[in-house]
Amino acid sequence: MLEIKNLHVKLADEDKQILKGLTLTVPKGEVHAIMGPNGSGKSTLSYVIAGRDGYEVTEGDILWNGESILEMAPDERAAKGVFLAFQYPMEIPGVAGLTFLRTAVNAVRKKRGQDEMTTPGFMKYVKEQAAKLNIDFEMLKRPVNVGFSGGEKKRSEILQMAMLEPTLCVLDETDSGLDIDALKIVSDGVNALRSPDRATLVITHYQRLLNHIVPDKVHVLADGRIQKTGGKELALELEKSGYAGYTGKAA
Amino acid sequence: MNVAIPKTKAEQSLSEAFEANAAKLPGSAAVQAARATAIGAFNKLGLPHRRVEEWKYTDLRVNLKDALPPAVSDAALVTAADLAGALGGLAGLDATRIVFVNGSFRAELSDGAAIRGLEVQPLSRALTAAQDKVAEGLMRTSGPEGDATIALNTAFMTDGAIVRVADGATLAKPLLMVFATAGAAAQLTSVRNIIATGDGSAATVIEAHVVLDGAAASGQTNALTELTVGQSATLAHVKIAAGSGKSVHLANWNVSLGRDATYRGFQYTSGQALARNQINAVYAGVGGKLDLSGAYLVRGTEHVDTTLVIDHAVPQCESRELFKGVLDDRGRGVFQGKIIVRPDAQKTDGKQMAQALMLSPDAEFDSKPELEIYADDVVCGHGTTSAELDADLLFYCMSRGIPENEARALLIESFIGEALDKVEHDGLREALSRSANAWLSAAKG
Ligand SMILES: Nc1ncnc2c1ncn2[C@@H]1O[C@H](COP(=O)(O)OP(=O)(O)OP(=O)(O)O)[C@@H](O)[C@H]1O
Ligand SMILES: [Mg+2]
Repeated sequence: MLEIKNLHVKLADEDKQILKGLTLTVPKGEVHAIMGPNGSGKSTLSYVIAGRDGYEVTEGDILWNGESILEMAPDERAAKGVFLAFQYPMEIPGVAGLTFLRTAVNAVRKKRGQDEMTTPGFMKYVKEQAAKLNIDFEMLKRPVNVGFSGGEKKRSEILQMAMLEPTLCVLDETDSGLDIDALKIVSDGVNALRSPDRATLVITHYQRLLNHIVPDKVHVLADGRIQKTGGKELALELEKSGYAGYTGKAA
Repeated sequence: MNVAIPKTKAEQSLSEAFEANAAKLPGSAAVQAARATAIGAFNKLGLPHRRVEEWKYTDLRVNLKDALPPAVSDAALVTAADLAGALGGLAGLDATRIVFVNGSFRAELSDGAAIRGLEVQPLSRALTAAQDKVAEGLMRTSGPEGDATIALNTAFMTDGAIVRVADGATLAKPLLMVFATAGAAAQLTSVRNIIATGDGSAATVIEAHVVLDGAAASGQTNALTELTVGQSATLAHVKIAAGSGKSVHLANWNVSLGRDATYRGFQYTSGQALARNQINAVYAGVGGKLDLSGAYLVRGTEHVDTTLVIDHAVPQCESRELFKGVLDDRGRGVFQGKIIVRPDAQKTDGKQMAQALMLSPDAEFDSKPELEIYADDVVCGHGTTSAELDADLLFYCMSRGIPENEARALLIESFIGEALDKVEHDGLREALSRSANAWLSAAKG
């Protein structure tokens, strides 16, 4: 279970408070969606869960399976099952996709007390997973994400997710930039990972995604806090009326 | 005035060492005369210092505190296994070998079998046996006038490889020239290679400077390679200077490209307390293509200097340079690249890039690109970058479970990978990449 308790986050080297007492619980086996206006702190939340530098938690805690993860380095969190699909996946020139995947998979397996994958075993597994996501295997020989289209980058994130077998999946606007077919493929990929021991947090601006990945709950994040929580129908409501009722500024 | 500057300890000992050893250095009377002239020139020049423009970032008066006794003859016991250990990834390379230990040819460690189109002989024999005119010719270099490292090489050189590739020959295997430092006594080893490739030939030549396990760490090497690339010939030339961390490496490549020749040079430097890699290249005919690249890894207080002069003396030639340095601790990287385009050299196409990856706030990178262009119809450019490891990329890797040290290594490898990719020979590129990996993992320990 993911428990975020009264989380206050500011920028480390600026006096800017972004999250102001965010509380949220995602039990295992459930998929929750977070929606909210631009700049409300959704990506910040995802980064703080993954352990990115530059943010300071001034109050509150994040527990994963009952254990606080705030003091853990990002790679330790990954070993504990945390995975973030980035809103803006990064390009790593000079590092082939396959090398990157293999290094990551084996690092995580090692920390989880599993055997490293053999080369043939790994290759077979990547090929299978890539095929499911309609990713051209040749693309994985190229440097990570370099020259990939927006949609290709998002699919490459989901491939990494599938390969690393996380138990806490945070997807930050994975649907943005995907065409209709890719949206379906990626959603199928995420749904395939739905399981009783996996918790998933989906950040999105579009109700459309939630037709494919049907959430157990929808949360509205505005002004640094969860303003409202509801069922999947809340997304439809937001689609109609926008965030006007949730932000301090708006009428 | 030169006379006013007192001689440093190193300058003094180099002059004295020459007097003491001159008779033991190989060569006929003409060779001995050329050596005497060279040391005379050095005595006047002294070691270059920061007020000499080409040496402003690498002051040998300051950095070369002690000059070691010159290697003159060698008796160190070295086995093939010792050599394999020092060669690391290169040991398994399918290549024709010629091996020198402390600057002396070692027949028992070298390949004797004849290779079609390839002639290799030790310089020491030629210096002694050849007619005076020929031997004297071997002493000449096309390097810059008044360069102290070249003068010292001429004075002290003991051996090296004379290599000829026949017209039209394509060598199936690379030629691997190994220069090993062995034995407990630290010495100044001076070697010279003279490589000439025939018209329309194709060859790969590797120069590997390695330190054997158990050898004195603080050895000094002065290596000069004189290259003439034939018309329409292709020559790939790779130097690996993997030192002990305390060694000194002074190197010169003097390259002359024939008409429509292609020369691809690559230099890998690591573990050198002090290294100066000078490359002087000149085009002797139109249509020449030059591609120079390198990767150097620096830590502690190591200092690696790459100084290039590319002389576009004739029209329609192309030059490309890409040098990448990884600088840790208080290490220092220096890059000086001068591209000269003479008035006649129209349609010259020259591009140069020097990049440094700064792993520590105390590391230093000095870069001085220079374009001297006297022709008007040319395309020339240069760039320099210096950056730290990208914190966002580091986070991205770590968020995928890759531990910080591995993530750093991965990103550093990717930085130098772009330069290593210039090495076309697969086995060689992999060997270099393994050397770089070993350097990176040593950093973790
Ligand atoms: N590293 C940073 N430096 C400066 N400002 C930042 C930084 N990270 C976040 N912010 C600011 O914090 C606020 C929240 O940003 P965040 O990216 O979390 O929003 P978001 O909800 O994901 O928005 P979007 O829907 O546009 O993706 C914004 O005002 C943003 O400019
Ligand atoms: Mg965002």
